[in-house]
Amino acid sequence: MNSIDFKNGRYKPERSEILRYMGYSGQKTDENIDGLIDRCIDEMIDIVRPRYTYSVFDIKIDTDKSGSPCISLIGANLKLTGNDIYEHLRECRKCAVMAVTLGIAADNAIRVAQSSDMTKAVIYDACATELVEKACDFVEDEIKALAESEGRGTNFRFSPGYGDLPIDVQPALINTLDAGRKAGITVTPSMLMTPSKSVTAVIGFTTLLFKNRKKRSKCDICSMRGNCAFRKRGTTCGRV
Amino acid sequence: MDAFKQFGDNYLIFDGAMGTMLQDAGLEAGGLPEVYNIEHGEVVLDIHKKYVAAGCDVITTNTFQANELKLKDCGYSPEEIITAGVKLAKQSGASFVALDMGPLGQLMEPMGTLTFDEAYDMYKRQILAGAAAGADILLFETMSDLLEVKAGVLAANENTDLPVFVTMTYQDDGRTFVGCEPRGAAVTLSGLGVDALGVNCSLGPAELKGIVEELSRYSRVPIMVQPNAGLPKIKDGRTVYDITIDEFERYMIEIADITGVRVLGGCCGTTPEFISAIKKLTAGKKPSAPAPLKVCAVTSGIKTVVLDDGVSVIGERINPTGKKKLKEKLRALDFDYIIGEAISQKQNGADILDVNCGLPEIDEPAVIARAVKEIQAAVDLPLQIDSSDPAAIESAIRKYNGKPIINSVNGKPESLAAILPIAKKYGAVVIGLCLDKNGIPETAEGRYKIAEYIVGEAAKYGLPKEDIIIDSLVLTASAQQAQVMETLNTIKLVKQRLGIKTVLGVSNVSFGLPARPLLNGVFLAAAFGAGLDAAIINPMSVDAMNSVNAFKVINNQDRDAENYTAIYSGYNTEREKLNTSAAPQNSGTGGDLKSLIIDGRKSEAESLTAKTLETEPPLSVIDDYFIPALDVVGDRYERGEIFLPQLIRSAETVKAGFELIKDKMSASSESGAGTSKGRIVIATVEGDIHDIGKNIVRMLLENYGYDVIDLGKDVPIQKVVDTVVENDIKLVGLSALMTTTVKSMKDTIAALKAAGSDAKVIVGGAVLNEEYVDFVGADYYAKDARASVKIANEFFGHA
Repeated sequence: MNSIDFKNGRYKPERSEILRYMGYSGQKTDENIDGLIDRCIDEMIDIVRPRYTYSVFDIKIDTDKSGSPCISLIGANLKLTGNDIYEHLRECRKCAVMAVTLGIAADNAIRVAQSSDMTKAVIYDACATELVEKACDFVEDEIKALAESEGRGTNFRFSPGYGDLPIDVQPALINTLDAGRKAGITVTPSMLMTPSKSVTAVIGFTTLLFKNRKKRSKCDICSMRGNCAFRKRGTTCGRV
Repeated sequence: MDAFKQFGDNYLIFDGAMGTMLQDAGLEAGGLPEVYNIEHGEVVLDIHKKYVAAGCDVITTNTFQANELKLKDCGYSPEEIITAGVKLAKQSGASFVALDMGPLGQLMEPMGTLTFDEAYDMYKRQILAGAAAGADILLFETMSDLLEVKAGVLAANENTDLPVFVTMTYQDDGRTFVGCEPRGAAVTLSGLGVDALGVNCSLGPAELKGIVEELSRYSRVPIMVQPNAGLPKIKDGRTVYDITIDEFERYMIEIADITGVRVLGGCCGTTPEFISAIKKLTAGKKPSAPAPLKVCAVTSGIKTVVLDDGVSVIGERINPTGKKKLKEKLRALDFDYIIGEAISQKQNGADILDVNCGLPEIDEPAVIARAVKEIQAAVDLPLQIDSSDPAAIESAIRKYNGKPIINSVNGKPESLAAILPIAKKYGAVVIGLCLDKNGIPETAEGRYKIAEYIVGEAAKYGLPKEDIIIDSLVLTASAQQAQVMETLNTIKLVKQRLGIKTVLGVSNVSFGLPARPLLNGVFLAAAFGAGLDAAIINPMSVDAMNSVNAFKVINNQDRDAENYTAIYSGYNTEREKLNTSAAPQNSGTGGDLKSLIIDGRKSEAESLTAKTLETEPPLSVIDDYFIPALDVVGDRYERGEIFLPQLIRSAETVKAGFELIKDKMSASSESGAGTSKGRIVIATVEGDIHDIGKNIVRMLLENYGYDVIDLGKDVPIQKVVDTVVENDIKLVGLSALMTTTVKSMKDTIAALKAAGSDAKVIVGGAVLNEEYVDFVGADYYAKDARASVKIANEFFGHA
């Protein structure tokens, strides 16, 4: 698999994002904390083993068991249900399904740090969250390039659990991509992905016109909307 | 190998891919290939027949995912799928049929939620069905986690006599998804008695060659190789395998020539043409027998230590003998302290950790098994299982991830008869003590005789001499001075005549004499000089580690003295500093205990706490310093003046201070109850494995003097109920991170009420808010750790 360069350029983790995940909003820090954060970023970059896979499917508008419209992926044993994913994809003829993980080493490092240095554990956790975002950006860029080579644009990453796309679709997504074999991602009976720093998402291939259309705020359909710690502080989780 | 007799003395050729062939035949992405065994048997049979025609000896059944987890929603049981699968494979006309088993699709604890026993039971079900249907070989393939493999191999060996083959999947960094390395797998699986081991999937033959060579150096059994048809690539949004058959053949010729390689086949993307190529390239060739390095190697699931690579340190601190605090922690089943000891020994240079939980009043088999599990979750070092109770040893090593050391067996017949079968079954290295029914012989020759006897007896059980380490036993210089050199002479004899590894527990030598570290250090150096391979010492002892670090330079183990230089480059200045330094708590910006806690200056606060405890009672240290400081930090956090890492840093500072208070109270044999402000049970609910938030809550509650019973993550409902009822708990904290696990929270609370508990429940976690309180039936919602403390303070009347 292609390795992702987290040390330089576009996929370098953003310190400000890492701080934000830890609830930072301009507080006075000190050099001990600042130095620790810098060290943790470097260490986490060395610890992670990012892996990903994706597949592109033709899609068609279908109906689910209750007769509501949904999206079927052609050639896959998969239906995406819910109004929001329908809106996300209804103007598309194709979509990419992606799965990305930082690997179990990130989980292990966060768990072990909790036994010896909780401050570090919390910072590691935030670093890993930012790194998996950057890994998603990397994969999204690859998908975007593929779409562009076909004269298409792409819309944003839409993940299970977001809006009304049920999180229960997670095992089917993972199976469709064979992401257990290809990236080592598994799903627990309660729909948690392990390794925990993993993301699945669906990206629609759009007309290029659509690409330039103003996007609506993703918060509008987010299931966390009423209860989001970021929104309470007047920011967003960054996935908008 | 006996198992191979039935296969002849040629290369044994397996078939190629099934999944990718089925996809070409119309299987949808994400569909269950196994269902074809029943619904489209003719398609599966046709593929099998093509592989037979291509020249393979063994057909692998189409049952990779035929376990109860993966088949849950398909309408067929594992037995139905497997019976049909074996039948189709047999119909193909293949000489042999291998029952195919893959990973169960869930990560094992602590990475995921699957337990060893669950994995064992699932594999057992597949194995019994496969054996009943007439499979000739049990194949575990595409495996990543050695512990999951171990559950499967034990399920195979304990329920059938069929040969067992295991292949693991390595990524481009040379490790499996969970971090296992090829030599660790080779060492562990050879020990478990599999009949062939190797590698499949993930990479193509070009990339696999180095991994196969590494397996060849460490495997005691024939090696199996099933590569993909090249490296998988994503092309136009599809995964493709694009090696040509000629290239495949070229690399496979090289792989077939590697020592010990005996079984060949293909994985993803391969077709009958690839198998024909293998048939062609092996025609007229004879495979070579395994010829591994004759080394003593032990492993965890991730890390391998080869004792032949130089001297090693075995950390001795996890042993309750003479350690009051560890005894208390073991009795209380408080494993955090043991985990802490494991981590600090690793940080101080231990290569292997000894684990001893021998206390007369505890259930040693259960406690040591739990300790091993907890330690393996926190450090990646191989472990040495230390007990005088064979039941405890077996209980600990059965679920141990990797190849452990057993400490120990001795020359008494009853010891040999009890320990050696366990070592053989689970593939452990064993320490042999040079003593027998007559005690410890006085001469080196006498001790050597026992060593030789142990090695001979071990061979009768099938344990090679490389898996025996001899301990020639250290006697006390103050009591048996003449004997000390005999110990070292025994090492020399064992090394010269048996050529095997030696170990010593060093510190006994200085018992009863002054300046013990000095004597220990010199004795250790002398023992290394005599050929000692591994020293069981306290890695926290500067003198002992000085001897180790210095010797590693002298024996050319620490290349370019890199490690040595890193540790000692500031040696002289450090010494001066130590000699001239004043009381550290007066250095820096000074400040009282409160402000040190507020600023999170842990080591300074620790020393000042110790000093304050000399004059003030523990309770007032808590009430007058800790809690007021924490209140300031908590208020600042609430007002957004500091952020999470700063809050936690202060909490950790208080935690360190609390340890001192607990030590002091246990030293003065006051009961710890005096400091407890109340007892609280906390847990991350069943099904949820995110526990960092819960752990922060725990730390803060303990900071405030609460006695917290932390049940961990993924906690079964009944365990919460039982703990609350048995301990008459009045306040419970439950955490859930996912919408999917909030239901489990609700069920836990309902079960508490049904059991008649009147405990109040605080809930928290990322997806929760005030509105969930009613939904789940809780009493309080805490938005963060700080809020949990406030609720607890109010509840227990400490506000």
